[in-house]
Amino acid sequence: MSNQAPGAHPLEPAPLLAGEEGDRPLTERLLQYVWRPPGRAWWTLFGIGLLGSVLLVLGITATLLYGIGTWGNNIPVAWAFAIINFVWWIEIAHAGTLISAVLLLFIQKWRNSINRFAETMTVIAVLCAGIFPILHLGRPWYAFWLIPYPSTLGVWPQFRSPLVWDVFAVGTYLIVSTLFWYTGLVPDLAAARDLSARRWQRILYGVFAIGWRGSTRHWRHHRVAYLMFAGLITPLVITVMSVISFDFTAGILAGWHSTIFPPYFVAGAILSGFAMVATLLIPVRRFLHLEAVITPRHLDNMARVILVTSLFTFYSYIMEYFMAWYGGNPFEIAVEVNQAAGFYRSLWWGTVFCNSLVPQLFWSARMRRSPWLLWTASLLINIGMWTERFMIVVNPLHRDYLPSSWRTYAPTYVDWSLLTGTLCFFLTCYLLFLKLLPAVPIGDVKELQHERPLRRTGTS
Amino acid sequence: MRLWILGEFPDAEASLEAARALRERGYRSLDLYTPYPIPAAEQALALRPSPLPILVAASGFGGAGFAYWFQWYCNAVSYPLNVGGRPFQSAPALVIITLVFGILCASLACFFGLWGLTRLPRLHHPVFEVQHFQSASIDRFWLSIDGPEAEIDREEAIADLAALGAQHVTAVEEKA
Repeated sequence: MSNQAPGAHPLEPAPLLAGEEGDRPLTERLLQYVWRPPGRAWWTLFGIGLLGSVLLVLGITATLLYGIGTWGNNIPVAWAFAIINFVWWIEIAHAGTLISAVLLLFIQKWRNSINRFAETMTVIAVLCAGIFPILHLGRPWYAFWLIPYPSTLGVWPQFRSPLVWDVFAVGTYLIVSTLFWYTGLVPDLAAARDLSARRWQRILYGVFAIGWRGSTRHWRHHRVAYLMFAGLITPLVITVMSVISFDFTAGILAGWHSTIFPPYFVAGAILSGFAMVATLLIPVRRFLHLEAVITPRHLDNMARVILVTSLFTFYSYIMEYFMAWYGGNPFEIAVEVNQAAGFYRSLWWGTVFCNSLVPQLFWSARMRRSPWLLWTASLLINIGMWTERFMIVVNPLHRDYLPSSWRTYAPTYVDWSLLTGTLCFFLTCYLLFLKLLPAVPIGDVKELQHERPLRRTGTS
Repeated sequence: MRLWILGEFPDAEASLEAARALRERGYRSLDLYTPYPIPAAEQALALRPSPLPILVAASGFGGAGFAYWFQWYCNAVSYPLNVGGRPFQSAPALVIITLVFGILCASLACFFGLWGLTRLPRLHHPVFEVQHFQSASIDRFWLSIDGPEAEIDREEAIADLAALGAQHVTAVEEKA
């Protein structure tokens, strides 16, 4: 099955940019969505996003005023939606970092046109994720106790706890992602400033472009800084997800206390994140007319990553069962049997279907390059990853060691409000990003365009 | 008062050739304004490599060292916490925050170092006075000769740039 458009020579790699275009028309075309006043579709989606964000605020208010009792949490299921949502949002963020940082270090040119979408998704996703650890505290007004400060109590955070590691890991991830994102954005903001038709636009972009002139003396530092950011943030992809998995593995609960969790979580993060990138990218590509810079080859590559990570995840599911059986721990065996045959079994089998079976479609090149198939599959994978996190969190909790502690869990409307609210908040922020900022990194695409003749002679 | 003499070139190769030619003529303080980074330009202008990596490495290791010491100090000295009988000096448990804080310090140094070295934000610069200069971030390559007014022969510099094929050759000054 060829990776090629029909009629193309089989040994030529499929293009990353369709057609040749001068730099100025390319820049103008990539910025045209920013200049156009928002259309009806944008306003409609924005309205939905705002309503959902109001719902989020209401959910947060209810939680802060009345406490965790408004959630469905009980004993033993003391962790539920909040932690599920937290893990789900952070794992989505990881794909963004992978695309912009890891693929840069591996000199994968196909990242050039999609890295800004991905980085922005990361920043907003980490913001959404960060809400939950604070809210899920019984006394969220004491959240600052997690940060080391010289207090009158004389007490410091317990640094040997994964919960404190979380604070530092996720906090660092948010800060570093935002700095990386902004650093890459500055030259494109300068292009937007210079193409602005109206004065207020020129001032707005000019302020945030901080006077970037494109001087080689500055590019010298910028290039090095960008590469170093990529190198610094790459270990964070592994570290942050592993730290979050330690929240579970450091405990003694059967089904949680397993060494497979860190790689399992990292693989799941990449799967979930790439699925979210595809979910966002395919409609954006269609409605912003970016088919020339986001080509079928990009879709193909994303589908391949999704396939590979779904195989890792599938392996992890099998390993969970194998190690429970091989280890002989009756409680662990009970948890795994319960997962497949107990109260939440439909969620489990749904998870296996969405995460392990649906991506198998991507063995076929035709399926990989079909935008709408990729989009539908990505949506299913996003849902599947959420239900997987549900199974990881709730299943071992609701049936742990003592039968007297067994109780099922059901979410309340506040739980749903918070989840839906963060989704809508994400949508709102993403729409604002698409409208106000250059969604495709113009400088990177120009670089790619100017490298093309070299690549053609280099590969033939 | 500093003087900048700027000229526009249609593509990267022409501007690099011109930069090398000007260096041969003896001009030392040159700059090339491009819409995307061109590694060859740094050699053409004979620029020193960026000191940013050293800054970042120093901050990273320093931050990591500080983080380790701080965690140990808080949990073993200031208010010793006996957690499950584990030793007070429990290095494996302290590794994560050490690593993560090191990365944070390195990134902050990278970010502030970058903008510090480039002396940005600087919203106004004499080169922005040249109207056509807007093309520098889009599709054209600008070369500038700069220096104190006393040291640069304005007419000669303009003639040199024009002779190398520059368009819109202009001189601007920085009001002291």
